[in-house]
Amino acid sequence: MSNHPTPSNFWRWFDPRNRQIGYWAFILNRITALGLTLYLLLHLIALSQLSQGAAAFNSFIAMAKNPVFKVGELLVIAAGVIHGLNGIRIALTSFGIGTRYQKQSFLALMAVALLILFWFGQIMFFGE
Amino acid sequence: MPDQPHAIIIGAGFTGCATAHDLTLRGFKVTVLERGEIASGTSGRTHGLLHSGARYCVSEAEAGIECIDENIFLRKIAKQCIEFNGGLFVALNEADVAYAPRFIEGAHACHIPVEELTGKAALRLEPNLNPKVLLAYLVPDGVFDPLRLALAFAASAKQRGAQFWPYHQVKGLVIDGQKQVRGVRVWDRTSGKEFEVRGDMLVNATGVWAGEIAAMGNTSVPLKQTPGVMVAFDQRATQRVINRLNEPGDGDIIIPQRRMAVIGTTSFEATDVDYIPVLKEQVRQMNTEAFELLPILRQAHMRGAYMSARPLIDSSEEGRSLSRTFKCYDHQEISGLGGFVTITGGKATTCRGMAEKTADLVCQKLGVRAECQTRDVVLSSYRDYYQN
Amino acid sequence: MNVEKWKVTFVVSRQKNQEPRLYQSFQLEIDPDEYVLDGVERIWAFHDRSLTYRHACHHSTCGACGMLVNGVEKLTCITSIRSVTHNGGTLKVEPLRNFAVVSDLVVDMSNFYTHLEAAQFGQVASLAQAALPHDADTRSVTDGEFERLVDCIECGLCVSACPSALTSETYYGPAVLAAAQQAFNQSKNSALIHFADQHDGAWGCHSAYECSAVCPSNVDPAWRIMDLRKKTLAYRIKQLFRK
Repeated sequence: MSNHPTPSNFWRWFDPRNRQIGYWAFILNRITALGLTLYLLLHLIALSQLSQGAAAFNSFIAMAKNPVFKVGELLVIAAGVIHGLNGIRIALTSFGIGTRYQKQSFLALMAVALLILFWFGQIMFFGE
Repeated sequence: MPDQPHAIIIGAGFTGCATAHDLTLRGFKVTVLERGEIASGTSGRTHGLLHSGARYCVSEAEAGIECIDENIFLRKIAKQCIEFNGGLFVALNEADVAYAPRFIEGAHACHIPVEELTGKAALRLEPNLNPKVLLAYLVPDGVFDPLRLALAFAASAKQRGAQFWPYHQVKGLVIDGQKQVRGVRVWDRTSGKEFEVRGDMLVNATGVWAGEIAAMGNTSVPLKQTPGVMVAFDQRATQRVINRLNEPGDGDIIIPQRRMAVIGTTSFEATDVDYIPVLKEQVRQMNTEAFELLPILRQAHMRGAYMSARPLIDSSEEGRSLSRTFKCYDHQEISGLGGFVTITGGKATTCRGMAEKTADLVCQKLGVRAECQTRDVVLSSYRDYYQN
Repeated sequence: MNVEKWKVTFVVSRQKNQEPRLYQSFQLEIDPDEYVLDGVERIWAFHDRSLTYRHACHHSTCGACGMLVNGVEKLTCITSIRSVTHNGGTLKVEPLRNFAVVSDLVVDMSNFYTHLEAAQFGQVASLAQAALPHDADTRSVTDGEFERLVDCIECGLCVSACPSALTSETYYGPAVLAAAQQAFNQSKNSALIHFADQHDGAWGCHSAYECSAVCPSNVDPAWRIMDLRKKTLAYRIKQLFRK
């Protein structure tokens, strides 16, 4: 571990020990970004099943009704909602709007994210 | 005598740094050796009072005059790290008021400008003063940042080629067969290596440790190691320095610095000053005095407390009545040891003057004709010290 | 007089001559109201004279004694032992992050100071300029123009805590940007806008806010960086209309 700044230190961005709320938001934004990117990749791969013809695509859709998939999809929604709401907070605070309340706004937005998640969750697992 | 005389200075506190600054201006090559970091000894721990000299104008006129003169010079050359809002000497009872005539007389004798204020006027200037203030005097006190003042001198010296070696502890003197000091043996604490540094004159600017260095050459200086405690509170209770109008005593100065009020100090003797723990009883006693001046500090949170050991020139008396002035010692005169001088005693406020006298002595001993220029040369930015 | 004493194991980072870091343990019996810096000093004075560390004022005005204490950036002269450990516990002391180590707990901050100088940051300012606009703490309650030493003591704790400073050697860092913001407020010198308007300047911040979390001196560098961005944007927009 080198003590002077170097790009190879980047994995330590994800170490939340002894850090405060703003840093947790920072980490969460990056993890959700990676998650969403990964999802995009998977989504494209899934869609490419279309090029394999109707049968291949239909069997893929059948697999997607598996509860494990639904949990995965909920995680994607979580990532999107968290990243999006936090992103709005960052966009505003980045220009001096509400900077003094960055901790409170993060907590409030995550509460909203949780509510949205519960709403989607109950639709996906328990019907309309 | 080489073209450029080389002075080795031990100690990078105010005295060492200011002497390096002065000597480089006089054309010397300078090496400064410091076992810690710049100002990590007594100098760093000063509460930062830029004395007007009024504190000493009654009992020690010499120190009083030194202070007011140097106060004016420092305000000119070290503006970058001084908050100058003035100070007040405050009388809280009849005993304090009785001191006033001597105070005024002393101030005039030392040409320190003072302005008399009624208690009410003082409270208007500083509302957090004890409401029973009877009388006050406005004086040109100021506050400086301890580390940055030393760094400013060091930066200026460095610009003219002085070499600063922190974390280098002097282990012994190199003395030749003619009882001349030729240099020092040094321990580099960052690598563990030991080596010699040679020069034409050795200047012992280690302040309260001056006796230890002198002992390495079997010589001495009459020095009393005198620690005292300081406490910093989390409230900038006044804009001006507050002093008690009376003879110097414990806890009778409160200095505003950044967002703090720093209270000082006490005075007692010690023999080992490398580390001195804070004595809680002293803190309590000192705070009691200080809270008389600024009662609001009773509710303030204590931010830090620490000990600082001052070098007082021993004129064979106890504690406070020791001289607060400074002195240069030529060890040739004391014990026939050549090439070695010591500068100790003094106050932070007089560091430039101490350096001037030291550089004068060094030049005189080496037959160098060079005038002091430090009264007029504005110091380099303290950050320049860190340029490689 | 009975002084409460705790048994604390100080675990201190040692590093000399570019060798790998080693941790050395020292058992101390120490008054918990003493500060972490007192513990380090005791180790130097009574246990190991080869230990190197920075300190000067011991009352949070010089900024020299910043270190990692149990993994968190602290100004060790005002961090009581009581606040970071318990009787019988350990206390880990390491040098600040994101600066090359010179020796043990001493780090090389020369680049830091060069940039602070480039930010035209002065240590003395009027009372109004010295504090944040939303922080009335040190305003004078009386008339008169007063000046004071500003809040930023250039301790570098913010740089140590900053994830951008973790991976980029050229990013100015929170202290320098906060300094530029303060200097711009005082002088309105547009050179400071150019100074900040760089990839390595104000735009290098990624809103982790850890700088303000660890600052021991009420500087709130994160707020100042965002304020500087606002001012940079305003300046750029004005420039567009001038053309």
